[in-house]
Amino acid sequence: MEDRTTKLFRTGFAALAAALFVTTWTDGAFAQKKNVPGWAQGRPAELENSPLAPHPSNLKVTPADKIPVDKILVPPGFKVELWAHGMPGARMMTRGDKGTIFVGTRSIGRVYAITDKGGERTHQIITKGHVQPNGVTFKNGSLYVAAINKVLRFDGIEDALSNVPNPVDMTDAFKLPPETHHGWKFLSFGPDNKLYIPVGAPCNNCDIDKNVHGNIRRYNSDGSGMEIVARGVRNSVGFDFHPETGELWFTDNDRDWMSENGPHCELNRVSTIGADFGFPYCHANGIIDPDLGKPGACENVQMPAALLGAHTAPLGMRFYTGNMFPPEYKNAIFIARRGSWNRTIKVGFDVVVATLNSDGQSAAPSPFMSGFLDTVNNSFWGRPVDVMQMPDGSLLVSDEQNGAIYRVSYQG
Amino acid sequence: MQRRNASLAGDFRRLASPLAAAFLSATVAAAESPASETTIQEKLEVCASCHGQNGNSTIEGIPSLAGQPEIFITTQLIYFREGLRQSKQMTPQADGLSDADIEAIAEHYSELTPVTIDRPIIRDLYERGRAIVRSMRCGTCHLPDYSGRAQMPRLAGQREDYLVLSMRAYLDETRGGPDTTMIGILHGLSGLDIRALAHFLSLQTAQ
Repeated sequence: MEDRTTKLFRTGFAALAAALFVTTWTDGAFAQKKNVPGWAQGRPAELENSPLAPHPSNLKVTPADKIPVDKILVPPGFKVELWAHGMPGARMMTRGDKGTIFVGTRSIGRVYAITDKGGERTHQIITKGHVQPNGVTFKNGSLYVAAINKVLRFDGIEDALSNVPNPVDMTDAFKLPPETHHGWKFLSFGPDNKLYIPVGAPCNNCDIDKNVHGNIRRYNSDGSGMEIVARGVRNSVGFDFHPETGELWFTDNDRDWMSENGPHCELNRVSTIGADFGFPYCHANGIIDPDLGKPGACENVQMPAALLGAHTAPLGMRFYTGNMFPPEYKNAIFIARRGSWNRTIKVGFDVVVATLNSDGQSAAPSPFMSGFLDTVNNSFWGRPVDVMQMPDGSLLVSDEQNGAIYRVSYQG
Repeated sequence: MQRRNASLAGDFRRLASPLAAAFLSATVAAAESPASETTIQEKLEVCASCHGQNGNSTIEGIPSLAGQPEIFITTQLIYFREGLRQSKQMTPQADGLSDADIEAIAEHYSELTPVTIDRPIIRDLYERGRAIVRSMRCGTCHLPDYSGRAQMPRLAGQREDYLVLSMRAYLDETRGGPDTTMIGILHGLSGLDIRALAHFLSLQTAQ
């Protein structure tokens, strides 16, 4: 099956390419410019006319009655409800001490605040006009927002939702690189009270300075004391800390255009501060990059704790520490997979749950929440991006495609 | 919602008959910011005062919108409304537009027929442009006939002066906002390359 799919992929496009290339390369007397969009970098010549490209974002409000919640599948005993909606581009979530849910976005440049008033949720835009303010986290009364290289702090925000104060601009202190490609951020404070920030590689696959790009860093909350926690990380947009060991676990999106079935995206565990996870020379569970890798490229590379499927785009992930779900979910990791673009047959568009093995070093993922992908028509209607546990043990799941948040609860 | 917008756009298309065109051009005096109380027809009249009654602009520096992909128009209007794309003219125009307004405007213009302005070909410039679009594979995203798709605009038949302006804006990094794809792609092109691209693309038959 794997071979056949790959073969179809290659031969189909080779035929298409052959038909188009003949006329394309006949007169090259002028500029031979090879700039390509970041997502197309690394695409082999025979696929240069591939129709595969990232799916456009939906920036419009999706009315509640156009969100088919009844199509969502969860295991027996679990229930899904539409918890909040009307927030185009809703992605990463964080919860304030007083219960406000803050939601970051990418294209639409907004940060939302959701207030839960006893069973009814209202939302508002607290700041807008930013370039991809994806990263949000809350600490000591303040909301931290990261938009590419901008870092903003909104102090006392939960008491000032009706009149949002100007944020403290901490951009200069953090000195994050300005590249937008894979430059959108995830934010989280660790058990060490440091602010953890990923910096993606500004390409599909290229040589990088590992002290600048392709890493996860931690800072003091004022932006001082930067330290690289993980290197060789292509693009992580989600992480959490093990509730007992405090170890950092993170998702990583592996490279495109190598094949439809590989390399797999990853769930990783940082066992040693500064460990190397291989990008761009070694991918997934030890696949040497065909363009940049040399023999031995996977030596001294930390292998993934779990493989999460090729092109599935695992993003937000959280350990489950609540009491609502059955005991087997305790300390398991919920992972939102936004879904593929660089694959003819779409995959992902779901939430999986990874149960840790007894050694605490690896994990086994299983389906948890699906139905967003129509496998018959190869189309999708929803894109889960983040997961977040609520104080009652229920799980919120954001859906960027519909600007919605679902609540998953267990009723037995 | 969808149906209502479609019928509103349909109403406008009926209005935009030759007879109505005279009426509209007479009534659209100034392009004021479309307040949220105005009807979609009134909003479309404001658009038409610059972008042309049939979506084909006759004003220098103003783009034609006829036949642009619906998602492209929607995305750009939302970028203007959100302050993510800055324009002296368009940022205030888009302020306060609802998603429903934007959907109706995008649907309306995507359904109009683009008309390529017939102009003399400057042979050297045209051939240079042709070589560049082939080398850069503009057609991979904008489609081989440059009619655009999804969030990527139609280039075929667009006004030459507007294509130059928009590409210069990417080069100067005054346009890009949340989507910097074109900044990266155009980086390093010369002024002559830009003029050649604009000349070639503007003369492609708009289909």
